[in-house]
Amino acid sequence: MKTKIIENIVKILIPLIQVFGIYVILFGHISPGGGFAGGSILGSSIILFRFVYGSEHTDKKYPYKYLMRTVSIALIMYGSLKGMLFILDHFGIDKIIPVGVPNTFLSGGSIIPLNIMIGLVVTITFYFIAILFEEGELEYEHASE
Amino acid sequence: MSQLIQLFPLLSILILLIFGAFLTPLLKRKKIILKLHIAINSLVTALSFITLFYVAKFGPFVFQIGHYPAPFGIVFKIGPIESSIGLMFSFVMTMVMWYSIFSLEKEIKEKRVSFFYILNSLLLASLLGIVYTSDIFNGYVFLEVSTLAACGIIIVKDKKENIKAAIKYLLLSSLGSGLVLMGIAFIYSISGHLNMTYIHGEIIAAASDKTNLLLISLILFTIGLGIKSAMFPMHVWLPDAHTNAPSPSSAILSSLVIKAPVVFLIKIYYLVYGIEFISNSNVFELLLIFGGFGMIMGSLFARRQKILKRLIAYSSVAQMGYIFLGIGLGNELGLTIAIYHMIAHGLTKSSLFLSAGSFIEQTGFKNIEDFKGIGKEMPVTLGIFTLSALSLIGIPVLPGFISKWNLALASIESGKIYLLAIILISSLLNAVYYFPIIINGYFGEDNLDGKVFRSKSKPIKELIPVIILSLVMVAVGFLSGSVINFIKSGISIM
Repeated sequence: MKTKIIENIVKILIPLIQVFGIYVILFGHISPGGGFAGGSILGSSIILFRFVYGSEHTDKKYPYKYLMRTVSIALIMYGSLKGMLFILDHFGIDKIIPVGVPNTFLSGGSIIPLNIMIGLVVTITFYFIAILFEEGELEYEHASE
Repeated sequence: MSQLIQLFPLLSILILLIFGAFLTPLLKRKKIILKLHIAINSLVTALSFITLFYVAKFGPFVFQIGHYPAPFGIVFKIGPIESSIGLMFSFVMTMVMWYSIFSLEKEIKEKRVSFFYILNSLLLASLLGIVYTSDIFNGYVFLEVSTLAACGIIIVKDKKENIKAAIKYLLLSSLGSGLVLMGIAFIYSISGHLNMTYIHGEIIAAASDKTNLLLISLILFTIGLGIKSAMFPMHVWLPDAHTNAPSPSSAILSSLVIKAPVVFLIKIYYLVYGIEFISNSNVFELLLIFGGFGMIMGSLFARRQKILKRLIAYSSVAQMGYIFLGIGLGNELGLTIAIYHMIAHGLTKSSLFLSAGSFIEQTGFKNIEDFKGIGKEMPVTLGIFTLSALSLIGIPVLPGFISKWNLALASIESGKIYLLAIILISSLLNAVYYFPIIINGYFGEDNLDGKVFRSKSKPIKELIPVIILSLVMVAVGFLSGSVINFIKSGISIM
């Protein structure tokens, strides 16, 4: 479905959805929300973009290669940060990372970066799952060329 | 120093996940990916080896994760059983990886090779997690990860049969994990805890007035994990999956993936419910029946197979029957032998699958009757196959014999003499279906007619991992006394 009306409305709608998703991710540690919830909202915005503007245009805008790279880097950073916290905790030096204060944005210690990583991974995974079920194949070959 | 060594179980899982699974999609060149994965797996094997030595010297230890002490945080409990099974898993995985460098590209598309290695790292991390963890829900999460990764290594070949087999496995395995989750829900509603030790305390207090609820959850765990570990009537997914997967995947599936749920089941029996509750229920009789039927029917099914890998897959069903029979005997020796047989079977079956895989790779045939005279064409490979098959049949000194002998002793000890007949019949049936392959491979005028000596044999360089696997298998048989004592020391403190 590709009419001018839908395209224009989606053009207005998508930034709103994305801002809301980012808000849910960033305020996950002091209000309801978090990486998974915010990531699914962000993912839905990219899925909407793809359904309206078609797969070729979207693949140019969000190439498979870069999305995969983002997921991997986010996972590596999540794994190393959380793993480092576990290891530091084992040696009894977890005082490096401060404990958060309620109602203060920059206070959650390591929760904000972890939430951002989860948000990125969930966004892209939701997008990939939607493509897989809608089109049967991730844009594998033509993105890598 | 000892604080550092206690970190190793967590560290090996983290290394596998971060460097094995998450870093690989960023790498482009296949040679680097291969080297990275071999290095990671060898490192994990070394870490498991050090952990084993530490446990042997200083006894078991408890490792806390998650910033909070036991009832809230997750706890890894590393004892002799966990460390020896963990070492076996990582060692077999390393050897299979090594073998797969030379043969994988002949079986799957080049694009999928890095995918295979990613999945294997995920799989090993989750299996080690299942073995090490002492938190029941943490174990469930690792169980799910291992199911999905195992489906991935079946489907990686991208053929029609593979997709069919993987969907069959996915459905049955999801059913199994659903049952396990339901069991956890029942247990949690009774005890309010997820840590195994704390659940045990609550269960003992509640055992008298909530017996039925506990029994239902016990059966849910037994059947759910039984599906995942191919207990006899629930084994239907196994032959398809193991036959159609590429040979390295078959080796991993049958020597690692179906063992980890059994370790989890043993932990649930002995750590969560405790031996008093279990021996008052009839669950051990159930395991004896399923295990005994599995030993005989698995061998009978294997006897009728025409495809080589399918025969070996059905033989796995029979061997899992031995493990369940050992658990079902309910005494200390039986449980020890169940765990010993897990190690023995893991080493044996992986070398069996890898050597069968090299037959198929070099000749292009699948059926057993096409492998007549293969002993002249590929003498070394058939020699490895013969050694492993002899171990499964039960020739003295090899580990298969040790477990059968001790299983017989354990069944006499528990007063169930009729089990001896089942063990004997099953061993004879093993001989019935393995010997024709070996005899037709090495001997017979008609069979060897027109075959050229060593014409199809693989370069010895590519066979080194399989040779190492079979040597370690023989060593486990030779050193069975100390291995069994080590496992026994773990059971007495469980």
